[in-house]
Amino acid sequence: MNWTPSPADDGVSRRSFLAATATGGAVATSGCIDRVQSVVNTVDDEQVSLSIMAMPADSDRQNIRIARRLEANLERVGIDVSLDVRARAELLEAVLIEHDFDCYVGLHPADYDPDFLYEALHSTFAGEAGWQNPFGFANIYFDTLLEKQRRADGEKRKERIGTVLKGLAREKPFEPICVPDEYHVAGPDRFTGWEDGHLATRHGYLGLEPAEGVDELRALVTGSRMTENLNPLSATLRKRGTTIDLLYDSLGTEHDGEIRPWLAQSWEWTDEPADSDAGTQGEEATLTARISLREDCEFHDGEPVTADDVAFTYRFLEDTSLGRAAVKSPAPRYQGHVDLIDDVAIENEYQLTITVVGGRETGERALTVPILPEHVWREQVGQRASDGDFTASQGRWDVVETNEVSPIGSGPFRVDSRTEDESLVLARYRNHFTRRDDVELPEATVDELRFTVAPGSVSSIRRVEEGDADVTASMLSAHSLPAIPDSSDIRRLQYPSRMFYHLGFNVRNAPCSNPHFRRAVAQLLDKEAIVADVFHENASPVATPVTGEWVPQALEWDGEDPETPFVGSDGTLNVDAAKAAFERAGFRYDDNGRLLGGY
Amino acid sequence: MLVEVLIQLVVVIGILLPLSIAVFVGRERLARTRSEWRTRLRAAGPTVGVLLLILLINRLARQRAPRLSREIGIHLTSWFYNIEGEFILIFQSIATPELNTYFSLTYIYGYTFLLIFPVIAYFTLSDTRIFRRLLTAYALNYAIGLVLYVFIIAYGPRNLMPAEVTETMLFDINPQYRYITREVNSNTNVFPSLHTSLSATVAAFAAITRSEFPRWFPVAVVLAASVAISTMYLGIHWGIDVAAGLLLAALCVELSDRLVDRWSLSELFEDQLRQYEERLPWERSD
Repeated sequence: MNWTPSPADDGVSRRSFLAATATGGAVATSGCIDRVQSVVNTVDDEQVSLSIMAMPADSDRQNIRIARRLEANLERVGIDVSLDVRARAELLEAVLIEHDFDCYVGLHPADYDPDFLYEALHSTFAGEAGWQNPFGFANIYFDTLLEKQRRADGEKRKERIGTVLKGLAREKPFEPICVPDEYHVAGPDRFTGWEDGHLATRHGYLGLEPAEGVDELRALVTGSRMTENLNPLSATLRKRGTTIDLLYDSLGTEHDGEIRPWLAQSWEWTDEPADSDAGTQGEEATLTARISLREDCEFHDGEPVTADDVAFTYRFLEDTSLGRAAVKSPAPRYQGHVDLIDDVAIENEYQLTITVVGGRETGERALTVPILPEHVWREQVGQRASDGDFTASQGRWDVVETNEVSPIGSGPFRVDSRTEDESLVLARYRNHFTRRDDVELPEATVDELRFTVAPGSVSSIRRVEEGDADVTASMLSAHSLPAIPDSSDIRRLQYPSRMFYHLGFNVRNAPCSNPHFRRAVAQLLDKEAIVADVFHENASPVATPVTGEWVPQALEWDGEDPETPFVGSDGTLNVDAAKAAFERAGFRYDDNGRLLGGY
Repeated sequence: MLVEVLIQLVVVIGILLPLSIAVFVGRERLARTRSEWRTRLRAAGPTVGVLLLILLINRLARQRAPRLSREIGIHLTSWFYNIEGEFILIFQSIATPELNTYFSLTYIYGYTFLLIFPVIAYFTLSDTRIFRRLLTAYALNYAIGLVLYVFIIAYGPRNLMPAEVTETMLFDINPQYRYITREVNSNTNVFPSLHTSLSATVAAFAAITRSEFPRWFPVAVVLAASVAISTMYLGIHWGIDVAAGLLLAALCVELSDRLVDRWSLSELFEDQLRQYEERLPWERSD
């Protein structure tokens, strides 16, 4: 079997071509709509209105507080603003799937590598539902930057990422606000080894050392989504995919920012295309990984894990209808990963080669998707595709949302039981390869891993302190951190933060389609004051969605936003200056100080 | 956690009820009730049945309603917030630790007591009409409230202004209560405030029966007002929800007067029975 998703052998990159059409289309239509509007209801005399979508405090306390601060400032500059409050899954549904929003405040899961910006911003995905480009951003120049960073490694790549970040800070399809510190708490003595892995990944739960006689790990989660649905493809129910990480294996696993072999025994990168016929010429450099899978691995239902399942996974993520619908239906997740793949070729049961477009750093990212059992998912698609005129509405059709697919993976834990809104119990999977004597990887050390839904961070801390639970699996809300007692009954754990709060714009519609408007709005966000008041300093204000070594000097935080600093000081908006920014962006004010449509 | 809170609630109500029966009802009425309870129960039986049925439907629907509500409901949070803004924060200006405790206790214990006590008190009246009216009004409150909850999706002030109401927020002071309120309600069911409407219903009945229970009347009014204020003080409801609760209470009290004794349920069923019989083929003999 040789599956070739993107035969780019005509010299023109498929990606660039698609990008060009998408952009052209978006620009053409947006202009068109604007003209129609101005003819029909003389948009010039209407006050600019903007709806901010945010989550209720029950879902995310910081989220609504950021939204209300922004709301107050937008009102001060004469915009007719409203707050649209939705529970987490519903907000994600509106933003990621329906694209029915003006702007929203959210916490982006990000990833270990800045390449997540590719799926977040590349115009290829502007029309798709899912985590891929929810903003509808389409810019040819930007596409090129995103593609170029993929082709480089090391210092050169860092430079190119810097260029991407600078472009992002200028264009602002979304505005990063801050990166919250990631704290968890754990009980003092039932387990040790919390430091060895991030609790948002599988490594947080593997390799722990339980005390004598302890065979159950009791973790608390604030959201109930994992108790309702474990579909690994769902865009609205997954955040960082921690449970998916435990139930499914991936070829490689990320630990401390590096990808190491996991389900794959090893891999070897070469410049040679695996198959000279499918090889690509021209500008697109490719790398090929020869991958050897671990032998005799089984899914939780006893079926063997083979190279076929790996090839199937990549094909399925690219088209969840498996070619049975007239139009491809890419999964609402992992599109950045899948888009890297140029070719997957199976050599035998445990050997395959994967050819990726780009360098090694991004190529390895493609190896982190969960490997799905072909026999389970093919049957699910088959059942739904049996009737004649089958359509698989991208990002929203049943297979990518349903709860009916049993969550069978090959990961270190399997699902034992699930009580909606209450708990999810995972049991150790005894046949997992990490339990083999010759495998030096952290394994599951408890028979049972129980996630219990605990509605608030403050009460979760109390439950851990009282010995009612071992650890908080969800990141603690900033407001609850002062509730962590200074006692020997509880351990405070800190992990590197990747997720970032941001203001996302729907650039498909006016007024957020105008980058000057977006910049003027971004200047209303006082990130320093937000970090101080809302997060009690347990967050870092940022101008970029990635942190640390990737941030170019020009975008480092130095007391204020280097690109669009807050118009005002000490949390107080300078209304006149802020209004002047909107006027510079081409908007006008009426005599009552209301902002009028600018075009 | 939940069990713990429930036990506390049962204990508190278990102490309050006998005390208040002794104070407000009196021995004489109790004695008469002991001899007449069968006939009274028979008279009120259908009404009790209706209320239990509504409560059961309510209980089952609360599990499914959120999903249905997501499908067909309209989001009104921003609308409420636009209209009244930070109105409920005026209660924050009078906040003290003592008031926090008072309103938290009122919200949980005072409210439960306020609903249960009149049921017992009115059962001790020889004429069961007021008892039946009370139960009917309860049933109407729940039924209308449930319908509104399905169609209207709105979050309460505590979900929009967590920082401003944090000092008094029920769940922050007493996180254990979250378990109990989560059992009975979803956080998008704020319009109308059923706490307010049911309490106001009780207060209205206390006014109607003030000649029978003169001492209960002022207690009921103060408690009902406290419950209504507590919902705003604790950041659970908007002023609009409370106003709607008061209107709903007025409607239910009025409707209970019109509906009770309007038709006897048994007659109603006989009518229907006859209709069905007429439709049956073998009855259509010539």
